[in-house]
Amino acid sequence: MHIGIGISTSRDHIQAAKEAASKARLSLGKEKIDLVFVFSTVDFAHPIVLKTIAGLLGEVRPVIGCSSLSILSDKGILKYGLVVMLFSMSQDSYFNVACVRDISKKSATLAGAQLGEKLLYGCKGVRRTVSIVFSDGLLQNGSELISGLQEKLGRSFPLVGASASDNLAFEKTYIYFGEEILSDAACGILFGGKWSFGLGIQHGWKPLGKTRRVTKSSGNTVSEIDFAPAGKIYEEYFAKDITELKRDLRRIATLYPVGIKIPGEKEYLLRNVIAIEGQTLIFQGDVPQGSTIRLMIGTRESCLQAAAQAAEDVKKNLAGHAIKFALLFDSATRSIIFGRQAPKELDTIKQKLGKNIPVVGIYTYAEQAPLSAINYLGKTYFHSHTITILGVGE
Amino acid sequence: MIPASGLNTYALMGSLILVVALTLFVLYKMKRLKQVGSEAQTLRESLDEMDEQAKLIVRTDMELNKTQEELDKKVAGLYALQRFSRAVSTTLEESQIFSRIETGFLEDLGFEKALVFLLKDNLGLRNCLNIGYSDEGLATVQAFFEANKELYLKLIREEKSISTVSGSPVGKDQISRVLKANAFVISPVTPREGAKGLLIVGTENSDTVITEGDEELIIILASQLAQALENARLFEKTWGAQQELERKVEERTRELKNVLEEVRVISKRKTDFISSVSHELRTPLTSIKGYAAILLAGKLGDIPKEVKERLEKINLHSDELAHMVNDLLDISRIESGRVAMKKETLDLGEITEKTVDLLSVQAKEKHIELSYSIDALARSVLADRNQIERVFINLIGNALKFTPQAGKITIQSRSAQNMAQVDITDNGCGIPLEAQEAIFEEFYRVDNAINQEVKGTGLGLALVKHIVEAHGGKIWVQSRAGKGSTFSFTLPLA
Repeated sequence: MHIGIGISTSRDHIQAAKEAASKARLSLGKEKIDLVFVFSTVDFAHPIVLKTIAGLLGEVRPVIGCSSLSILSDKGILKYGLVVMLFSMSQDSYFNVACVRDISKKSATLAGAQLGEKLLYGCKGVRRTVSIVFSDGLLQNGSELISGLQEKLGRSFPLVGASASDNLAFEKTYIYFGEEILSDAACGILFGGKWSFGLGIQHGWKPLGKTRRVTKSSGNTVSEIDFAPAGKIYEEYFAKDITELKRDLRRIATLYPVGIKIPGEKEYLLRNVIAIEGQTLIFQGDVPQGSTIRLMIGTRESCLQAAAQAAEDVKKNLAGHAIKFALLFDSATRSIIFGRQAPKELDTIKQKLGKNIPVVGIYTYAEQAPLSAINYLGKTYFHSHTITILGVGE
Repeated sequence: MIPASGLNTYALMGSLILVVALTLFVLYKMKRLKQVGSEAQTLRESLDEMDEQAKLIVRTDMELNKTQEELDKKVAGLYALQRFSRAVSTTLEESQIFSRIETGFLEDLGFEKALVFLLKDNLGLRNCLNIGYSDEGLATVQAFFEANKELYLKLIREEKSISTVSGSPVGKDQISRVLKANAFVISPVTPREGAKGLLIVGTENSDTVITEGDEELIIILASQLAQALENARLFEKTWGAQQELERKVEERTRELKNVLEEVRVISKRKTDFISSVSHELRTPLTSIKGYAAILLAGKLGDIPKEVKERLEKINLHSDELAHMVNDLLDISRIESGRVAMKKETLDLGEITEKTVDLLSVQAKEKHIELSYSIDALARSVLADRNQIERVFINLIGNALKFTPQAGKITIQSRSAQNMAQVDITDNGCGIPLEAQEAIFEEFYRVDNAINQEVKGTGLGLALVKHIVEAHGGKIWVQSRAGKGSTFSFTLPLA
């Protein structure tokens, strides 16, 4: 597999599309183009951008990607930017791209299953390697989408996903598919054949306080914890009533998510509260009834250590294969926590992976990956607050 | 064989032991259970205590985070202000000021959108900066503010800002909608020079909490912007004034050149005229003088005494007229450059001595003390002997004319700035200040008693001036009425 990366920060959409595409083409050299990834800040979420890229690259090729708060790249963190990644696949590797639209009009599980089915189309008999999925970051329960996908792709099939973000306005996020700019949609790619990859997923939050049990929940809605109204746990911990909690929710949820203890897993699965309705807590992902939960606490330092660990895990999982490039799906929450020091996290990752390894990343409203990075054949979960690194080997 | 009663006793004892053992076991278990229960209770209490501690930790951590964020924001804001200040203060061009405002400055202050509008003469708005708005978005904002003139004029007049955290809440929601910003600050930009305006910053980010501290930073930013605009405008004004001055100087110089050229042309015409008239006059003058001489000599017969007296007067006046014509002719020749100065090394002492000798009779007649002193360093000059002799005769002759009986005249020479300077000082009647320049003009005579008595053409000093200047020298006079005069002239040293 060969890759070519082109980045532009031009304010003119067409100019930016042309610049990024030409740089990527130049970087790929004479290799054929099989696949195109496009990531951009929301300012570039316009069909003319995709049309210009397609026009410049010549014949129609599969294009997938999504919008992001910022672009993480070798040039640093770009608050205004567009990146085009061109892939030239080796002969013994395969891929299939697919898209599912209008997710809110059907159940997310069904949409996930449909996407899984489309991805599998034509891949029977092929050794499947990994799947990457990009979904609308404002989907109410993204874990159902993943669950639907897993129904078709297999529960332990390595699936890596990113929920698109906008400029923290939480108004609209965008999925790029072909020359279309979509919302309320998800697109994905299924890779097959012989190629190596390594995954690293870490968050850096630690449990704090008593273990609690979810005594009443449905999907991502938790109404009772330890047989008491769910909102009470937050009221007790933060010494605020529900009204105050609602006002400060974004900040509290960012700093202190809830961790779900997964039997057999060392790390806690983090869940972000996105709304409080009465005393009911609405999470971004599902929180199964009966699960053991704890309040989690993290610091910039622990987040940095987690990022370094994720990069180390990628190298470990590649089992001796040299890294060719790395894709980063970094939680937008982490960018809020790091603030001006956000480049430190990127620097740490680059330092661990190797300074010359090309890195392209996006900020996400949620991440999807197996909980344990060491054994990538673990079940994929819907995460919050994590840094997910997918390293592709030579 | 053991009897049956013995068996029963054994069984009874065994049962008793069993019961005791069981009782003891139960008692032990009960005690243990109680102990475990107590331990569990202690553990529960510890957990509850730990949970309480965890709550304290969370609350403290939250406060710490809040403080840290505020601190980060302040540091970032101050850093951004410093960079902003450096960027806008290093240019003195108004348009350059706005192009130097980068998105990064705003982002560090917690905003990603910014607009600057300046007032136009008709109270409309001129957009000078747009960060983060599409053309359509900009047009909407501009239309809103133009439709609400009172709002921005009040802000500018009162030099007050409004934001999502301060000022009257009236209309804030509407402004937020128009600006497409969850938080905004509008601060007046009020330079003392030129158009005033508004700085509008906003953020769509619902996570950004804007505080009064943030608003203060934006107010400082607006005042720095105003200062930069003021500096640029003052510079432009000064530059404009300088340009205007230079333009005027150039214009006046051109006009002066034209006038000078005209003067030159007129002067040349005058010189030519004087030259030709002088030539024309010399011929009839010579004839008049010749005929008068014939008549006086009696070659045409005796003439009566009265006729002879009249003829002598004709002869005398003809001489004066011829002298005047010659002087005029010389002036015009020198002016037109037709007389080449035959420069040679001259001894000023020798010329002075010769002139003093020549004029000593007149001096004696008036009992005037005539003395001279020639500096050895200013003795040799490069000049035309005949012309310089005329200068000396004219100036010393004038001094004799205007110095009263028993007066004093001194002639001195000294070197000054590579030139020889000759000063001829008398203690005569002096020259009024207003006439000191004019005396070097042709036909000018000072209006005093001596001039009314003594005849003169008014050409002598003009001729002297022309001769000195033709040698590259200068001539001037220092005088006070009634106290005498010093005529000074310079000649190039040999």
